[in-house]
Amino acid sequence: MVDFSVYELKEPEVYAYKCPDCGALYYPVPMICKKCSARRDPSGVIFSSWEQVPLGGKCKLLTWTRVYALPEGFDVKYLLFGIVEFENGLRASGRLLVDDPRIGMELDGKVGIVKEVVGEDIYGFMFDLPD
Amino acid sequence: MRKVAIVGIGHTVFGNLSEFELVDIMSFASGNALEDAGILKDRKIIEQVFVANVGGGIINHQTGIASSLVSRIDLEPAMAELVENGPASGSSAVKAGFAAIASGMVDVVMVTGGELMRTVTGWKGTDFVAMLTHPEAEYNYGLTLPAFAGMFTRLYMKKYGLTERDLAMVAVKDHENGAKNPYSHVEIPCTLDAIHDGENANVVNPYIAEPIRLYGACPVSDGAATLILCASDSPKMKFFTKKEPVLITGMGAATDTHCVHNRKDPLELTAVRLSAEKALEMAGLSPEDISFAELHDAFVILELAISEEVGFFEKGKAKEAIKEGVTRIDGRLPINTSGGLKSKGHPLGATGVSQIFELVKQLRGEAEEGRQVKDPEHGMAVNFGGFGNNVVTTICSKE
Repeated sequence: MVDFSVYELKEPEVYAYKCPDCGALYYPVPMICKKCSARRDPSGVIFSSWEQVPLGGKCKLLTWTRVYALPEGFDVKYLLFGIVEFENGLRASGRLLVDDPRIGMELDGKVGIVKEVVGEDIYGFMFDLPD
Repeated sequence: MRKVAIVGIGHTVFGNLSEFELVDIMSFASGNALEDAGILKDRKIIEQVFVANVGGGIINHQTGIASSLVSRIDLEPAMAELVENGPASGSSAVKAGFAAIASGMVDVVMVTGGELMRTVTGWKGTDFVAMLTHPEAEYNYGLTLPAFAGMFTRLYMKKYGLTERDLAMVAVKDHENGAKNPYSHVEIPCTLDAIHDGENANVVNPYIAEPIRLYGACPVSDGAATLILCASDSPKMKFFTKKEPVLITGMGAATDTHCVHNRKDPLELTAVRLSAEKALEMAGLSPEDISFAELHDAFVILELAISEEVGFFEKGKAKEAIKEGVTRIDGRLPINTSGGLKSKGHPLGATGVSQIFELVKQLRGEAEEGRQVKDPEHGMAVNFGGFGNNVVTTICSKE
């Protein structure tokens, strides 16, 4: 039997992870829960691999910068970066698509290609003005 | 715990040394320290070597650097190991040496830190340093250390009313000191007019990671520095009669979250505070007892923020100290007397060792004319790894 579901195109997402024992949410995922000390096994064989919860949507800009001296692999004049806080209290760093950002402004956290390397597109957070 | 003395110091010039090999520059600094300690011929009394380096395997295509160094300067069969802790590698290696002696395991240790970063393009060098950020949640985006420093600076400005002119004043002060230091990468003074007030300032001093400008960040440097340590109570102290020993009286280290966004208050440099508290407690001192300090100003904002976090000034008040000249060579609490990372340079693995080299020079009274602190008793060095996720503080004192 061929499992055709593996060929289905899925929207790329960034996930927070939920501790199966106490429900605490994390981004990025740790290996031990800070609150209840539950362990996580990425393979899911010995312990749970923890529930993935899509992270994104409405968020608030905490701080930002526009960087001109970029590392290898980013062939543009500059990029904007920001740290945001989502409505569930989790925070994340990511790419900022707003050209005149202000601390405290409301943004929408979407997922897009943040880096292109040979044979692979790397997805991550893109923070933009809400639609 | 046994008392540990610094009995020899060595340094290369910091700057572009890309025509040399990594182990050659480390060997040169080590040789200078052996001569300074007066044990070039008796060098085999060194029982253990700790080497601090970050990029040997990544950008210089060389591993096993500690073994290579020992062989290059004829120190076999001394034990030799590498310590890698990002930009705080140097102080971590000193801490390993301190612990090896304090525990009674060995009597004489050499610590050499070195980095050769200018053999690759700035593009690759920036990528190499950024590798210490979180691979998935930070590095993939193109986030770099300057990016985090830029975001930190923006928050600090908003909370405490810091201005770009205040930051430029820190750079001017650091370059004034660095210009008198023969080991400096950028050994030229700069003026407030050139980098902030004048009409061409935006050209001379452009943004690199807003609101950080070129003169708000350290250069990319090559270089090496060495310390030789000996147990104060060891009979081997008889070999070290050439210079007055300086004691390591306090060492502390602490870590913080890998991801910057996971800190409750991104302006709190918790690992800085905790490492300084531990070092001060070990030394039995308070911040008021410190005569001068080398603070890890990879970005000048960090000189201000670290000086507040270790307890020299209240939060948000370090900018007043800069304006009042408190941190100048002739001020009440001189900071970055060497020129700091800003002017002297920042070869990652060498930096922490070089900071303590400066503490020893000042405590011996050997600093060059115009940058010698008057009658110092205790010096503090804060070596800041990652964006504050791994910090080592060292206190040195006159015997």
